[in-house]
Amino acid sequence: MNDLGAQLLAAHAASDVPALVALYRAAADTADTDTARGFYLTHAHVFALEINHPDTADLRAALIAMGREQAL
Amino acid sequence: MTNTDLSAVRQPINAAHGLPNAHYIDPTVFDEERAALLMSGWSGLAVSADVPEPGDAVPITFLGMPLVLIHDRAGTVRVFHNICRHRGMILVDAPRKIEGAIRCPYHSWCYSTEGRLVSTPHVGGPGQNTAEGIDRDLLGLIEVSSHIWLGVVWINLSGTAPSFEEANADLLARWAEFDKPLYHGGADSQFQLKVNCNWKLAVENYCESYHLPWVHPGLNSYSRLEDHYHIEQPGQFSGQGTLVYRQLRDEQGQTFPDFDGLSGKWDTASEYITAYPNVLLGVHRDHAFAIILIPQGPGETVEHVHLFYAQPDTDAALRAKNTAQWKEVFEEDIFVVEGMQRGRHAPSFDGGRFSPAMDGPTHMFHDWVAEHMALHRAHAQAAE
Repeated sequence: MNDLGAQLLAAHAASDVPALVALYRAAADTADTDTARGFYLTHAHVFALEINHPDTADLRAALIAMGREQAL
Repeated sequence: MTNTDLSAVRQPINAAHGLPNAHYIDPTVFDEERAALLMSGWSGLAVSADVPEPGDAVPITFLGMPLVLIHDRAGTVRVFHNICRHRGMILVDAPRKIEGAIRCPYHSWCYSTEGRLVSTPHVGGPGQNTAEGIDRDLLGLIEVSSHIWLGVVWINLSGTAPSFEEANADLLARWAEFDKPLYHGGADSQFQLKVNCNWKLAVENYCESYHLPWVHPGLNSYSRLEDHYHIEQPGQFSGQGTLVYRQLRDEQGQTFPDFDGLSGKWDTASEYITAYPNVLLGVHRDHAFAIILIPQGPGETVEHVHLFYAQPDTDAALRAKNTAQWKEVFEEDIFVVEGMQRGRHAPSFDGGRFSPAMDGPTHMFHDWVAEHMALHRAHAQAAE
């Protein structure tokens, strides 16, 4: 397991939602495929929504631009 | 199922009998009353003070149904069915603060605190968050009609009742002087009593003053039976009042501050009314209380007691004294409501007879029950 994967597991185990937003966003940035990027961005966006994270709107906009989300 | 015969209940008080035993001990009748009495109109669920700040959420099981009380981010207190529109998963399983959206712990569908569905992750496949046929505008949380009055959150589960103001117009008019901000006393001003009785017995005992000199002898010293009067509004509410309310004082003689603008009547009067079906209310010049009856089954009820004041910064020691005083009074009632519950297992009990002079408010409640059961049965029959 790579380092990012280990950090994600630790953040899930600790219910560290701000860390989950950052880590899933980092995973999206390094994803090999569009599908994988969409998957990770989706997770980052959902956890951002949950805590009213300041990046929520940006994450949603990124998903909308990819045709993977709809506007509020 | 054979319907209970309620014709004797609907007779004039001097000839009437009380509700048959089945209305207190039979699970089938309990379920029937659940729909006919507790879901069709405005029932008490909680107090708005349970969710004082935006984002506060409290799950509540009411009549077996999972509900969630939420103070939304815009400031409105709302009640929803506590389930995700996807697979029916429970959304909020413990009181907590919702920072942003309510995320279902199963597949992470997300809802705003106003109930709007705002995210459906992977619903169209991995990383694809929309799908044909999944119309978020139609899949928000299922909201229950609610209204706040006297600090109580009232709900209409059927969604068919007239507005709260219309349904309770006479009670709102009677106590218009108390329709002003009430301040919950906080943690020291609430308690729960679990009683082994049908919820209606708590109503019936609360409605009348007949029992006061026997069950609450401490009141005799200043509040005699003849100082009380009946309160009777057919089809809506009943209870009793006293003409000799005496304010609680601390050792320095200090009292709670009065509600502003009360008329002279309230210098010495206090009133105790059951807003049918399940909220027992009391008002005084310097405080009010609400007892919300949450039925747990035919023979078990939890009484949620809350005390309110005219100002937010009342004296803590005096509040504690007031809470203790009322708790003692309400605990004195437990043996009678539980004794009547046990009595309902006597097959020969015919519902009992009423004192024409003293039991009017109780008979009025029985008559309301019988009327609403008849309406419910007529609708059920018509549906068949």
